[in-house]
Parts: sequence; C-alpha cells; structure tokens
Amino acid sequence: MTHRPERRWPSALLWTAIFLFSTWVMVGVQGEITEAHVALLYLLVVLGASSGGGRGVGFSLAVLAFISIDYYFQPPYARFEISKRPDWIVLIAFMATAVVATQLLARANEKALEARRRADEIDRLASLGAETLSTGSATQALTAIATVVRDTIGTDTCEIWVHQGESAAPELAAQAGAGLIAEPPPVLPLAVIDPRTKVVPLTAHSRSVGTLVLRHSAPIVLDAGASRFLSALAYYAALGIERVRLVAEAERAEALREADRLKDALLASVSHDLRTPLTTIKALAHDIADDGDERAGTIEQQADRLNRMVADLLDLSRLNAGELPVRAELNAAEDVVGAAIQQVSAAFAGRELRTSIAWSEPVLVGRFDFVHALRILVNLLENAHKYSPKSSPVDIELSRVGPMIAISVADRGPGVPAAEVERIFEPFYRPERSTPDAGSAGLGLSIALRLAMAQGGTLSYADRSGGGSVFTLGLPAVADAAMDALAG
Amino acid sequence: MMADTILIIDDEPQIRRVVKNALSHEVSSVLEASDGAEGLAVASAQRPTLVVLDLGLPDMAGIDVCRSLRSWSSAPIVVLSARHSDREKASLLDSGADDYITKPFSNLEFAARIRANLRRAQASQIAASVQPMTIGSLVADFTARVLRRGSETIHLTPIEWELLRTFVTQAGRTLTHQQIFNAVWGRAFGDPQQYLRVHVANLRRKIETDPVRPQLIVTEPGVGYRFELPR
Repeated sequence: MTHRPERRWPSALLWTAIFLFSTWVMVGVQGEITEAHVALLYLLVVLGASSGGGRGVGFSLAVLAFISIDYYFQPPYARFEISKRPDWIVLIAFMATAVVATQLLARANEKALEARRRADEIDRLASLGAETLSTGSATQALTAIATVVRDTIGTDTCEIWVHQGESAAPELAAQAGAGLIAEPPPVLPLAVIDPRTKVVPLTAHSRSVGTLVLRHSAPIVLDAGASRFLSALAYYAALGIERVRLVAEAERAEALREADRLKDALLASVSHDLRTPLTTIKALAHDIADDGDERAGTIEQQADRLNRMVADLLDLSRLNAGELPVRAELNAAEDVVGAAIQQVSAAFAGRELRTSIAWSEPVLVGRFDFVHALRILVNLLENAHKYSPKSSPVDIELSRVGPMIAISVADRGPGVPAAEVERIFEPFYRPERSTPDAGSAGLGLSIALRLAMAQGGTLSYADRSGGGSVFTLGLPAVADAAMDALAG
Repeated sequence: MMADTILIIDDEPQIRRVVKNALSHEVSSVLEASDGAEGLAVASAQRPTLVVLDLGLPDMAGIDVCRSLRSWSSAPIVVLSARHSDREKASLLDSGADDYITKPFSNLEFAARIRANLRRAQASQIAASVQPMTIGSLVADFTARVLRRGSETIHLTPIEWELLRTFVTQAGRTLTHQQIFNAVWGRAFGDPQQYLRVHVANLRRKIETDPVRPQLIVTEPGVGYRFELPR
C-alpha cells in the first residue's frame, strides 16, 4: 500500500519552460558567447530540473540540451552535424556531467525523503505511545491504536482482539473502520490463504495476549516501512492489552481488600458487641451468687458457655475464610502442656490430672503456633473431663514420635463407638448418648483438627487399652541437632 | 483498705459499674470517664494510682490513650479487651500497658489482677535490691550468682541468670517476648530470639517444683510470661 508517486508534472513543465527560455536567450546572443557558457548554463538547468522534478525530468532535459548544443551552438549551425573533433568532447563531457550530477542529486533527494518519513513515523509512534499510557481508559488507547493503524496502512478496518485464556474465545477490544461486521480473527494458516486479511499476533512478556486483524476489500500489500510501522504498533497494542488486564486486576485486588476490611470490621464488632453484654451478665450474676442465690451461678456458667460458642463460631468462620493466621515459632512442648493445665485447672478442681514427661531428656522443642496448639489441648482436656467419670484421672503424655511431638490426652470414659469415629471431627458432631447441654456447640474437635492441620500437625483418635479414649495431637518437632546451637 | 484511687475509662456504664463493684473492697475511690479524652483529662487532674482502660472507646484508639498516658504517668495501666488477638495484646504491652484482662472476666480474677498491679506499683524493684533475695523456697544472690533451694545449689547458665533477674525485677508484670528478649540479649538480633522460650523451659525445670504447673513463671499464651513472686 505505497502512496508515493507525487504530482511532478508542474515541476517538469516549469523546468522545460526555463530550458526553452534560456535556449531562446542564448540563441539571441549567439555571437557573444562560447560553447562553455552554453554548457554551464544548461548544466545548471538540468541540475535544477532533476532536483525539482526528479531523475526523469533531469535526464530528458540533459538529452534536449545535448541536441540543442549541437544544433544551435556548434558549427555547422542549425544542423545536426559535428565538424570538429573537440566538439564531441564538449558534448560527451556535458552529457556525462549532467547524468552523474542528476543521479547523485536524485539519490540524495530520496535519502532525505526517506529520513523525513522515518522521522514522521517515530513522531507518530511516540505520540501513540504516550497516548497508550496516559488515556483515561486502556480501551480508549486500544481504539486510538486501531485507528492509527487503519489510517496509516490504509485498510478498511483494523480490529484488536484480546485472548481471554487458553480455552475462552477471543474478545473484540477495539475496532476502527465502520460498516464491517467483526468476525472472530481467522486462524493463522487461513489468513495466509486470504490476501485481503492480515493477522498480526500480539505478544507481551513473550506471552500471546491478543491478535490485530486488518481487513481490506483488495489484497493487502505492505512495503518494508509499513511492515516495520505495523510491528511497532502491534507492540503498542500488546502493551495496551496488558494495561487493560493490569487495570482490571488492580480493581479486583482493591475490591478484595475492601471486602476484607469489611469482614474484619464485622468480626471485630461482633466479638466486641457480644462479649461486652456477656461481661456484664457474668459479673452481675457473680454478685448475686455472692448474695446467696444459687440460680445466679447457673446464669454465670451459661454466660461462659455462650462466650465459648461465640469464640468457636468466630474461629470457624475465620478458618473457613482462611484467615486465622498461623504463627509457627519455636516452642517448648511442655510449655503448652503447662498452659493448657493452667487453663483447665478451674474445671478440673478436685480431679486428678496426671502428666507423663521425661524430665531427664532434653526439652522437646517444636515449630508450631502456641496459641492454636493450646486451644486444641484445652479442647481435648475439656472433652476428657466432660465425657468420663469424675472419679477417674485424665492422663497427658508427652513424647517424641519420629519427626513429630506427640501430646496425648487419655481418659477412662466410654470411648467413641466404631460407627462414630469417622464423624467426630465433623462440625456440630455430638456424641449420640450425650445430654443436650453437655457444653458447647459441638465445634471443638472440628476446629481442633483444622487448627492442627494448619500448622503441619495431626490430630487422631484411638481406643484406649483397658477402656476409654486417647486423642493425640502431633506437632512438627525440631531436630535435636538444630537445638545444639543453643549454647546457653 | 488502701488509699488508692483508680480511674476507669470505658464508654459502657454497665462495665464501669461491674468494675466498680469488683474493686469496692480493694480501693478507696473509683473515678470514671466515658471516653479517651475525658479519661486523659481526669488522669492528669486526679493522678490515679491505677488506670483501667477499655479498648473499644468511641473517640480514640485504646493504644493511643495508652501511649499518651504512659508518656507522663507511671501509674499501672490495665487494659480491658473483648478482642482475642494476641498480637494486639503484645503491642499494647509493648506500648506501655502493664496488664490486660479479656472480656468476659470473673470478678475474682479481675480483683486479683488489680491487686497484683497495685502491689507491684508500690513495691516495685525494692525487693530485688536486697541481696540475697528469697523467692518462695529459693534463695538467690544475683551479685554472687548463687541459687539455692535449702542446701541444694542450682546451677544456672548466664542466660538463665539474666532471665531470672529480668523476671524478678518486674515481678507481677506481663512481659512480652520482645521485652524479655530486649532485656536479656540487649541489642542482639536474629536467631537467639527464637530460643527464648526454650531457655524459659530450661529455667522452669530448674526452679519450679512442677514445671507443668509453674508457680513462678506463668505463661501468657501468645504474649509472653509473667513472674509471680510468692508471698
């Protein structure tokens, strides 16, 4: 699609007129001038003509001048004859000079023209680049690119299609040129067959992001400059598509952050709003119980129970949302056991809680979340207390099993029936024989299991030999070798 | 009854009443403020011996009230919080609070904690200056670095001595892991901090009668430790 042949006729006519005029003038003063004057003046005219009218005009006038010198200014005059040998030298020298000069001039002209075209191209690309990056919406930038491509290459339409992923159909992002119904871009081999369509793949970060499609009523032919321009524009189009994608991603991330903030605010306000009245109820009930009304004691217990349920529900919702953070740190296993015993001491008042820890061995150290591990152990201890005879002891054993620290809580209760073992870690599970108000919402073990797994730990159940149940919490241990770094 | 004045900063009148009731046997007068600004004003005018600060105030973030108070007052600050975030507790303690109590709390527990904080405010650091010092059944001489239980001598490593000194001089106060680490290791950074809890476990094995039922070094889950001086 070259659009070169400029209108050169006016210039050719002008220089022919100048040629005729100077010939007329020189013929008028024929006696006073020599061949050298004539040749020099004609040379000037030929140079002027070839710079103004191009190579063709230059050559034509050079030939005319050659004939005119012979005819008018070399004896025998007014005849196409050459009488002396030096006359030939003048004519050939003139001709050679004219041809070489015309040739050089034309070449310089073409170079200048080419340079100007390139400068234009760069200007256009630069402004287009700025537009791609600065327009309000990335879609506007893509439309601008499509328009420039269509105008520059001169096709009927230019479309930019965006790839939506491996499987999804491409989507039309921008179109320049009206009247044509946009069809999906043809598959590449097909485009090779139909010369009226040109398909340019758009890649950014070596990933295919879209396709630029040119459609024309006639076959599309591109010269080197147009090809270069098209590939530069294709690059901008790819950047534009990339920008559309990044903008969409940023908007989505912002929306997610906003939702997160709302959820956090909601969780915080639910926990605050529910716990504040619970504090009042509990404290007032305590005061009344001090005054001698035993029923107030029940109110206080139920307030505690409600508080645990609020905590369980909040934790379950946080676990489900994947936002209960795990802070795995180096911790001594006996520290978490001690903290659990401390927390259940009030509930276990008067009941035996035995511990089995190898005090002669080095401290067992694991990498786990202290608070979550504590939550799990307290839950296991409370269950053991709740579901076994108050006269029987509960046992905690701490040991190292391969790469794990095992903390087991064993009771002499009825154990878990084989049919129910699969279900005990499900939310809202409750032993079938248990009384309705045995304590909590039945979330404890399901939360415990997920808290254990979140820190690379395990939680398992086994029947205890001699009757009862054993729940074992496994936590990732730290190798003794690593602990040798502890120089004291 | 001691001549102590306590300030309660809480926007819920019911909670103020509960706190007041719980403390009626502990202190001589209880001042009340319903928001952060009023609380700071009352605190600067009346100079209470202890401040109970609720975190859910309508006008200011609790942690800002805490910092502001701490900038000119050394009165113990006990924080009331309904949020169970350990990170929040730790950052409160790091910014000057002395203790925190999680809602809902029992009156007995609350009164005991207030009492402990008052006692420490009055007798802080005096005990530690007397050498050798008696800690329950233990006798510790920090200058000679000798620790005995009866006739038995207990050997402590240098880091365990520093831990014990840090705990004893700030007995009754919940110290965050960071605060303990800064006191024991000074400006050192990096790995040693990870081993803090292991050192504490080792120290417990040496000084506690039953290390899983500690009487001296009490764990504050997710926050740090508190040393209880036996009476």
